[in-house]
Amino acid sequence: MTYAVMDECIKYKYKDCIEGCLVGCFYQDEKMIVIKTEECIGCAVCETEYPVDVIKPDTIPDAAKWIAFNHKYIGFWPNISERDDLTADADDRADVPDKMAHLSKNLVQQ
Amino acid sequence: MSSAILEEKPEFTIPTGVFAETVTSVHHYTDRLFEFRITRPASLRFRSGEFMMIGLPNAEKPVFRAYSVASPSWDEELEFYSIKVPNGPLTEHLQKIKEGDTVLLRKKPTGTLVNDALLPGKRLWMLSTGTGIAPFASLIRDPETYEKFDEVILTHTCREVAELAYGQKLVAAVKDDPLVGEFAQGLKLYCTTTREDYPFRGRITDLMASGKIFDDLGVPPISSETDRGMICGSMEMLRDTKAALEGFGLVEGSNSRPNTFVVERAFVD
Repeated sequence: MTYAVMDECIKYKYKDCIEGCLVGCFYQDEKMIVIKTEECIGCAVCETEYPVDVIKPDTIPDAAKWIAFNHKYIGFWPNISERDDLTADADDRADVPDKMAHLSKNLVQQ
Repeated sequence: MSSAILEEKPEFTIPTGVFAETVTSVHHYTDRLFEFRITRPASLRFRSGEFMMIGLPNAEKPVFRAYSVASPSWDEELEFYSIKVPNGPLTEHLQKIKEGDTVLLRKKPTGTLVNDALLPGKRLWMLSTGTGIAPFASLIRDPETYEKFDEVILTHTCREVAELAYGQKLVAAVKDDPLVGEFAQGLKLYCTTTREDYPFRGRITDLMASGKIFDDLGVPPISSETDRGMICGSMEMLRDTKAALEGFGLVEGSNSRPNTFVVERAFVD
């Protein structure tokens, strides 16, 4: 089993997910975090620790879409294994609508 | 070519970022279950109930699998309890380890089956099947568990009677332990089997639904006011037992948001 991050994470980033990860399979740009699904061991600590449902297992109906979405950014974004200070305004970002529009297009093309 | 050269094992370098520890003892319980102990890295800190990644130095890129640490956080060695999976990428080799062999350990422990993730309560239920008893082997040997809860009940359900031996030996040893024994006198072990004859039979979820387990143990049914739960077992067991605890009004918690029960989902298969 693997886990993937969904688009609700964009501009959200509480980062409770990162600290418990044994294999360091999280990668981030300034607005979002993704999981390297090939490295994920499926332990569910990130899903359990995260305050809202933005990380889902590959057993949900449209899992393939989210795994592909996560996979797309691996290799472009740097690995993150510890919290940094980008989480400060996560509360203000929780309910931003239409989040895909906020994903940084320039970073995707690096 | 001499036979000595043929038998020589290839040497693989230890990957960076992992501990290389030495096996200190191995005990086989059945043809499917064994326990082993290894030296503990001096710098390793973990909380009782957490799990780590274990591998063997038998490839350039060794296979690692998640294992609950079965020993408590104060123990000078690390203990693990493992299933033997035929053709399992790790356990096929791991089951052959002997004293003096090297086991690899990734440096980070993690997990939600810890006392920190539960709100204070009166009675702690540790619900396990098979090798899912391992994190509870750690927690029942930690004095903190008894400081936090007045009563501790460990349930262990297996197919066969012989598979209950690890838990039974452990609980007997805990009560005799000079450090924890004094705290653990009230610890109750409730064993059931699903395939072989035994005084207590059946799945833990059925025994909770019928109320038989509460009658057998002489305790009131689970209530969110007094009872806390920890669950570790197969995926199906986790799903059904989680639903049962939710039926009693308990709510799943985590390190960041402690509540009335927690679930361990990292499980070797």
